[in-house]
Amino acid sequence: MARPRLLPAVVRSLLGRPSTVQYPYVKTEVEAAYRGRHYADLKKCTGCSLCAIECPADAIAMTQIPAHLEAPKSNPRRVYPKIDYGRCVFCYRCVTVCPFDAYVTTNFYGMAGPRENTSEQLSLGTLERVV
Amino acid sequence: MTATLAQAGGFVKPNRRVFTLEPSRVRSVFLDLVRERGQEGFYVSTIVGVDLKEEGLIRVDYFVVLLPEEETVVLRTAVPRDNPVLDSIVDIVPGALSGELETHDLLGVLFQGNPYLRRGFFVPSDVAEKGVYPLRRG
Amino acid sequence: MVDKVVELPVTIEIPVGPQHPALHEPVLLKAYVDGETVVKVEVNTGYNHRGIEKLCEQNTFYKDIFIIGRVCGICNTVHTDVYVRALEQILGLEPNRRAKYLRVVAMELERIHSHMLINAVMAEVVGFDTLFMSIMLDREKVMKAKEILTGARVMADYMMVGGVRRDLSDADAGRIAKLVEQVRERLTYYKRVFEEDTTITKRLMGVGVLKRVDAVRHTLLGPVARGSGVRIDARVSDRYDAYDELQPEVVVRGEGDSWARMMVRWDEALVSAEIVLSALSKLPRDGSPVPDERKLPRKFPPGEAYTRVEAPRGELTYYVMSDGKANPYRVKIRTPSFTNIVNSAFLYEGYTIADLPVILASLDPCISCMERAVITDLRTGERRTVPFTQLSRGDKAWRGRGFYLL
Ligand code: SF4
Ligand code: SF4
Repeated sequence: MARPRLLPAVVRSLLGRPSTVQYPYVKTEVEAAYRGRHYADLKKCTGCSLCAIECPADAIAMTQIPAHLEAPKSNPRRVYPKIDYGRCVFCYRCVTVCPFDAYVTTNFYGMAGPRENTSEQLSLGTLERVV
Repeated sequence: MTATLAQAGGFVKPNRRVFTLEPSRVRSVFLDLVRERGQEGFYVSTIVGVDLKEEGLIRVDYFVVLLPEEETVVLRTAVPRDNPVLDSIVDIVPGALSGELETHDLLGVLFQGNPYLRRGFFVPSDVAEKGVYPLRRG
Repeated sequence: MVDKVVELPVTIEIPVGPQHPALHEPVLLKAYVDGETVVKVEVNTGYNHRGIEKLCEQNTFYKDIFIIGRVCGICNTVHTDVYVRALEQILGLEPNRRAKYLRVVAMELERIHSHMLINAVMAEVVGFDTLFMSIMLDREKVMKAKEILTGARVMADYMMVGGVRRDLSDADAGRIAKLVEQVRERLTYYKRVFEEDTTITKRLMGVGVLKRVDAVRHTLLGPVARGSGVRIDARVSDRYDAYDELQPEVVVRGEGDSWARMMVRWDEALVSAEIVLSALSKLPRDGSPVPDERKLPRKFPPGEAYTRVEAPRGELTYYVMSDGKANPYRVKIRTPSFTNIVNSAFLYEGYTIADLPVILASLDPCISCMERAVITDLRTGERRTVPFTQLSRGDKAWRGRGFYLL
């Protein structure tokens, strides 16, 4: 009967390397345009809260910029969007609705971990300290 | 089949013809459909219940797909909100079963003559026990 | 001395599920068996409710696009496409040709990987795990193509009112075409395996035979109906998006058994591969397919729309009603799995217990799709927890639920 049709494939798999990617020891290849971790560039952000209003997963909380950092003049209320990556579904709605194109997008996806994971450090890192 | 119905209500976009009928005539219309188009001439795609709170009505739309041309038509009827009772059509068109079960569980429309009707088909038991119909407008 | 034995016909109730009856999703088939033979099946649902229709009424039209994408992971682009087209109908908006073509590419890629998935699961159900692994490995190529196109393997979030959310460069179009060509070759191979392999044919042929008239009367849709000779395809009859130019060939078979349904899926996957390739080769260039989401209309006029799409599992319909406010007044989702699972209990009668998962898998049940319908009380946020001891005692409240603790 025709059963041996699969045999060559089976033999090939037995002799070849496993197809499974040994994540996290080996990184999975993703596209450069993959929708990964994103954060607001606070040099551009005006604190308008539009992204927080539009976020379907309610992952964005508008948060005060700490006093030791210099916020741009265009952000009088000194607030910035803090994304909780644990809630975020990476739809990028925030990226597309921001009127000032403030979001920086990356294809970073390795965000699993025991600690709270937010965009705080990444976003605040875009600002300079008050001298 | 269209001759037996007064056309009213125009269209649901995009170009789905709407036929409005009295709740008491639902059964006879489906019997007519079976007689004129045969068992394989149409299927009930879905039953959509909408709670129109302001009018005090629950609107029940039967979306019927006519075969073989696959044209969707809407048979629209409405029942009063405080006494939403309709005749079941599962014995004529068994495909209406899922739609009737869902509309009963979520909106509380009672389809008379459907033996499978029960609460908790979709809704969790705690909600069902309180007699809450989730898709009713508050 | 016993010289007479009285045999009582005993019907035993066997629960199949709710843990992974076929696909790895929860549904309970309560099968009543007489010996080996199934005499009656009750479909018990309610394990996967998330209240999406209600949720849609409480969120804005645009947020709903992303909520609806999460009705089902496997077919998220068709869900968003049909919803977005309903919104476009209400608004009177029309996307450009390029956007329509790209939508078709995304949806057909999805059809290929969905059909590969269920055929692989079918192989697993009949105990042919090698074939399962092999198909899943090739399916990864389609997922990669989807990632190139939409930016994520599964959750595409690709459709937007007035177009799609990202454009496709020519280089990437070439890469997708190459992947699809590789996959097409494999699809032809797997189709032959399903045709010729004795393990498959012995388990599937003549199992769960569905007559044409029953398929229509019970509103069974998609490959299930087409496997029984019903020529229905929303792509051909509604000609939405770019299907007016990219006419698909409708695959119909007459056998009506589980095997025919699986073969329809292989053939459809091949047709889809053709459509993807031809769409990519003649992508129109009439401007950007990506609408500026900041400039889309904020207000929706009152109106109603009912759109259909041919999802991998059959006709998927959305009814959207707007009353002019910020949120939709009603969103009604009717997925093909909903009717295919709930209305198909009659299909199991007369077959054996071992055939039960085969028939269920041949219907391509997508439980999440089906059970989107509801319901925690979102207004009061009420939820109840039940201690495990109470559960095991078969508490009255739980018994009222009508399933496995009966
Ligand atoms: S990607 Fe989507 S879910 Fe995540 S923060 Fe932005 S809008 Fe919210
Ligand atoms: S929408 Fe843009 S500018 Fe406004 S708060 Fe968000 S990131 Fe800042």
